Order: sequence, then structure tokens, then C-alpha cells
Amino acid sequence: MIGRKPLPITNQVSAFRDQHGGMSQAALAEAIGVSRQTVVAIEKGHYSPSLETAFRIARLFGVGLEDVFGWDEA
Amino acid sequence: MSLREISAWVMGAVMLITGAYYGKLVLAAAQAGAGLPPPEDFLGPAIGAFVATIGVDIALAILAPKGADLPPDERERPMLWRAGHWAGLVQGGLAVAAVLYVAHSGDMAILFYLIVGGLILSQFVEYVLQIAFLRSGS
Repeated sequence: MIGRKPLPITNQVSAFRDQHGGMSQAALAEAIGVSRQTVVAIEKGHYSPSLETAFRIARLFGVGLEDVFGWDEA
Repeated sequence: MSLREISAWVMGAVMLITGAYYGKLVLAAAQAGAGLPPPEDFLGPAIGAFVATIGVDIALAILAPKGADLPPDERERPMLWRAGHWAGLVQGGLAVAAVLYVAHSGDMAILFYLIVGGLILSQFVEYVLQIAFLRSGS
């Protein structure tokens, strides 16, 4: 989106999908109960997921919340 | 494009066609000097729009059973709510404008047509906003 201010929450969702056998966005979406478009929006940093969804993602990959999500001070 | 967006496009098109037909009918009757067409004239298009709505849902359920069954998720819910909110304001504004117009003109017969026209327009606005919000992703 042109002129969109980046959200301060960064994420490694795409990298973790790759690490987990190239899990597809659709498979991740189904596993955590959101639409594929929402996974796309999260990965692009256009949408910050709810705490519940963030935990679901982290638990699915077997890591902690801060391994997947970070806070960009800049 | 998500299934929800496809549904909004199709339903927006249905509302546009219904609205265009409705407007054409009213304008044709007004230009012919025949006053307003009887409300029964809109029964066909109203049933058509109703059947089309159900048809779209059935078609989506057949083409994408998994996606059609899913409720809106946490990102989509506020978008759909906002689209409904603005469409409701449009509908309310048009209804108030219609009542004021009728109160001013004293022509009670036109109230039905203004309200139905406002209803069609607000539905169209809701689908357009759904598409815009879902596309913008915010």
C-alpha cells in the first residue's frame, strides 16, 4: 500500500514456514484459524495479529513468542 | 482475491443491476407522466435479487466449500463491521432525507420509492466498502 506507515511489530513468520518444510500460507492459516489473506498481511507487516493468534503461530512452530515477533523501535 | 471479496464483488454487481433497473423503472414512469409505478412492479426484480443472493452463496459453497464455511477472522471482522456501519449511516441519512422531502412536498406516495432506493444504494455502498477495506488490508 502506497504511503502506509510500517507497523512497529516485525515478524519471522515466513522464515519459520520455510524452516517447517516450506509450509504453505494456506496450511498455516488453517492451522491457526485465520484466512490466507490474513497470513499474507501478517507476513508483509500490514497487520499485527491478536495476542491469541500470535501465540498460536509461535506454538505451532514450537518456539517462543519473541522468536517469531519483535518490536522495531525505529 | 479472497472468497469474501469475490462474494462482495458479485453481490455489489447484483445490487448495481437491481438499482439500475429500479431507477430506470421509476424514471421511465415519471417521464411518461404516468406518476410512480405500482410497488408490484418491483416484485420481480426484488425476487430476482433475493434468488441471486442465495445463488451466489450456493455457488461459492460448491466452488470453495472450505472457504465458504469459514466465518470472518479477526482481521476481517472489523472491516466488515465498518462497512456495515457506514452503509447503515447512508441508509439512515437517506431515510431521514426522504422523510424530510415528503414532509416538505406532501407527496406520501414517493416515500416508498425513496426508502427502497436508499436501501438498494446502502447495500451497494456496503459491498463497495467491503471490497475497499479488504483490499486495503486495514
